[in-house]
Amino acid sequence: MDGPLVELENVSAQTDRGEEIFRALNFTLLQGRSAIIVGGAGSGKTTLVELLLGLKKPESGRIEMFGESLKRRSAIRRARRKVGGVGGPFSLISTLTVAENILMPAIIAGERGSIQQERLLRLLGEFNLVPEARQYPSSLTRVEYTLVQIARASIASQPLMLIDEPSAGLDAKTYLRVLEYLHKASLFGRSMLILASEKPPLEMPNCNCYTIADGGLV
Amino acid sequence: MIRLRYYLREIGRNLYRYPGTAVGSILSLTLIFLLFDLFWVAAGTSNRMYQQLLTQVQMEIFVSDNLPDSVMTPLAGAIADIPGIKDVRYVSREDARLELTRLVGTDLLTEYDTLNPLPRSFILDLDQSVKNLASMEMLDQSLRQISGVTDVSYSRDWLSKAEETRSMVTRVGMILGLIILLTAVINSGNNIRLMTRARGGGYGQMLLLGAGRWFLALPLMLEGFLLCLLSAVLSWGIVLFAGRKIAFSQFAIVMPPVGDIALFCGAAALLGFVSGYVGVRKLLR
Repeated sequence: MDGPLVELENVSAQTDRGEEIFRALNFTLLQGRSAIIVGGAGSGKTTLVELLLGLKKPESGRIEMFGESLKRRSAIRRARRKVGGVGGPFSLISTLTVAENILMPAIIAGERGSIQQERLLRLLGEFNLVPEARQYPSSLTRVEYTLVQIARASIASQPLMLIDEPSAGLDAKTYLRVLEYLHKASLFGRSMLILASEKPPLEMPNCNCYTIADGGLV
Repeated sequence: MIRLRYYLREIGRNLYRYPGTAVGSILSLTLIFLLFDLFWVAAGTSNRMYQQLLTQVQMEIFVSDNLPDSVMTPLAGAIADIPGIKDVRYVSREDARLELTRLVGTDLLTEYDTLNPLPRSFILDLDQSVKNLASMEMLDQSLRQISGVTDVSYSRDWLSKAEETRSMVTRVGMILGLIILLTAVINSGNNIRLMTRARGGGYGQMLLLGAGRWFLALPLMLEGFLLCLLSAVLSWGIVLFAGRKIAFSQFAIVMPPVGDIALFCGAAALLGFVSGYVGVRKLLR
């Protein structure tokens, strides 16, 4: 795919309570590049994630993900398959084990079993999750929970990783480890869209940093 | 292949996690199907009895006293030419007297040695296809138009009641089938709806990961398929087992052919698939 992964053009959106949160928002994320969007509580980070996932429709404007307008249900579904999500609306499925949760995007994408298993083992090893592979999410610590989400966001080689509040529930050391992983992944060409309350302490390669202000990005 | 494995694992997981719901559903569906199976066996058995009785149905026509014996042979030929009549047997006055003696055990006509008052008749053996009330009534009309025929006798009332009963059994069967269809769909559908509610959050997450609605719905529909198939097989297992243990001296129980039972189980499974769809249709919206 040569075009932008994410493109928002003159997008206006409101919160569920009808308050205007974005006014003619423009944003483009090209393939291989990353973006960090910083905003405080209530600034619209979650609304932006919802817009990008097709959970919310804009009042006006155009949203394109991976070159497709998010108007049709099938386009939304295709876009979601290419997004690896962490935090925010993404949570683990309580009835599935850690391994099954991680595998789910690959199963949905219909990838071959041998490939799935190979990637699963690699990711479990990378995040030290091998002992937790057969556990259910309810028995995980907050740190393990986030690591499983990151592993799930990576299994199907999704071109875009959407991370809502990467530091949520993590201690400083684990947060840094997570950022190092994201840094490494972005070096391998994966795009990151990180929405955080504060700018992360680690610089990302090919990354622009924005702040949500006055219904737009600056 | 990967997805099929996932679907099968999902079905197993649902059954494992909610065994009470699954067992309850299988038992109630089995009882519903059992009711239908028993009705089917009863209908088949009564139909066999009816067909056996039908083989004994004959028609007798009586001829005028004025006709000379010499015209009996051509008359028998004319009667035999009528479609639906397989065989014609002439019963002379003497044959009738012998039959009467056989029936009552004594000769009631000892005083009538020179003048036997019993009428001459023909006993008609009919094709199976005309052994129904409408055809026999038409045959009755045709026979009465033959010159010399004074009366036509057959088991009209019995046929009428038998056909009425058969028609009622068919109607009851159809209504029962419809009720069973609805009950199975509602029962299995509700069971699956409960499963979708219990796992609503998980399905929401799968949708966020890009799962299609059919991806979520298919395991549940397959589960409906499996539950109904198991219930249908179990219900027939019970009926066949009971059929081996129970025997009646008056009649034999008629079981449907294995092919029909297999078809029924297949139809039940399909019904389960449909009920699964009914259970997940909100999820598919």
